[in-house]
Amino acid sequence: MSGQDDRTRLAATPGIDFAHLTLRDALDLAVLIEAEAQERYEELAQQMATHDSPAPAAFFRAMAVNEAKHGAQLAERRRALFADAPRTVTRAMLWDVEAPDYDEARAFMSAHEAMRVALRAEKKAHVFFSTALPEIGDPGVEHLFTELCAEEVVHQDLVKAELAKLPPEREAGDDDFADEPNAQ
Amino acid sequence: MDATRNGHDAREYKSDLKPIWCPGCGDFGVLTALTRALANVGRPPHEIALVSGIGCSSRIPGYTTAYGFNSVHGRALPIAQGIKLANPDLLVIAAGGDGDGFSIGGGHLPHVVRRNVDLTYIVMDNQVYGLTKGQLSPTAALGTHTVTSPEGSLEAPVNPLLYVLAYGARFVAQGTPADMAGLSAILEEAIRFPGFAFVNVQSPCVTFGAPEQQLKAHKEGLKQLAKIDYDPTHRMKAMALAQTYGRELWTGVFYRDPSPPPTYDALVRERQRALAADALPRERILELFAQHDGEPGRAEA
Ligand SMILES: Cc1ncc(C[n+]2csc(CCOP(=O)(O)OP(=O)(O)O)c2C)c(N)n1
Ligand code: SF4
Repeated sequence: MSGQDDRTRLAATPGIDFAHLTLRDALDLAVLIEAEAQERYEELAQQMATHDSPAPAAFFRAMAVNEAKHGAQLAERRRALFADAPRTVTRAMLWDVEAPDYDEARAFMSAHEAMRVALRAEKKAHVFFSTALPEIGDPGVEHLFTELCAEEVVHQDLVKAELAKLPPEREAGDDDFADEPNAQ
Repeated sequence: MDATRNGHDAREYKSDLKPIWCPGCGDFGVLTALTRALANVGRPPHEIALVSGIGCSSRIPGYTTAYGFNSVHGRALPIAQGIKLANPDLLVIAAGGDGDGFSIGGGHLPHVVRRNVDLTYIVMDNQVYGLTKGQLSPTAALGTHTVTSPEGSLEAPVNPLLYVLAYGARFVAQGTPADMAGLSAILEEAIRFPGFAFVNVQSPCVTFGAPEQQLKAHKEGLKQLAKIDYDPTHRMKAMALAQTYGRELWTGVFYRDPSPPPTYDALVRERQRALAADALPRERILELFAQHDGEPGRAEA
């Protein structure tokens, strides 16, 4: 990704001061990032189900489950370290960090395309953590972000492996295109 | 647990009804940005009314937990004004498409602006009629090819930003779901503005819209007012900037009146109170009526 994209990603976390981020805040942020991604995948799965596209719907649903699992692990870690200490970072402070952008989805997209959407989202999250890293002040947060960066690479590999298992993509046919205009 | 800064969660404002918009439609981002803005503003859903006309974008009230009215094509604004005047304590938002707002409903716009009713009007501008499958809209650029302009349109487009500024609107902004954080912040500011607030959202139609109008193009060409030294308190400067509509994608607050006057709904309430104070008590009216034997015309005699 270009430098411009990297800056855009940082701009999508209004109110977060990476230089002063504590480990507790960083864990909370990571949990919220997973929650946002989980919700977005659930939305995309629902969009696909509404548009009669079961294969991408199933894949997006599986991604939502993965994000939920990862979020639960991070939340558990946060609880173990900081118990119920109040949270200062909120959902208002992050936008689309690991969640695929809405315009990634298309009616009647193939399972291949759905997987490529997830791959781009994992890359986007990697860019987010790696771009933030040099700004981090706290060594514990630096360690956590390094770990999350590495995990995003593992996730990318998992998606790539799933993609490789799929049969070759079919060409789009006439039925994939919009109907004639109508009146309402 | 995922509450925003004032304890509200954007998910409180999304209903269980799942959108049937085409995947990739810009309106998904508008819905998410709006629900986040509402969570930040912090009014509970039962204190909010979201009114729309007809169109894909006008489905938005059903996807929120606010009171919703998916009304009649082009009539979101008169209905929203009526709701605000009948129940001024409600937070009222009108929403819809560019066809709804600037074609069939275009006649209502100058009047809601000059009245300055305290409501927010969000137009999801996709330069096409989405719901009816791709006819020419009033904001489509000259030469646009659609099913109703197969050889390219011959009509110059409406410039929504310039129109509302010229009508005298006191809050005028533009956003895009390509910048969700920016869009949500703009919507929040518009909702908090005391008076009529207009937000034009460039919300692409993936199915019938032109490639150069899609979010990918927005992400590449976006120009944010928040990133330049721009003072939004000058109407004439805002009008000059609004001239770029259709050529450049500027997002942010174009104009915000630094000292907004009392709103129409506040003035109406004041007038009602004054009239009520001067009004004869009910008993006295009945007494006068009895004196005149209830005969028509006697009072004037
Ligand atoms: C009185 C009336 N005239 C025409 C229509 C047909 N109609 C429904 S939606 C629409 C335009 C939709 O375009 P827009 O308002 O831009 O919304 P979008 O679907 O693009 O979000 C039209 C012409 C109608 N429903 N009622
Ligand atoms: S037709 Fe266009 S405006 Fe309507 S839901 Fe589909 S993409 Fe959105």
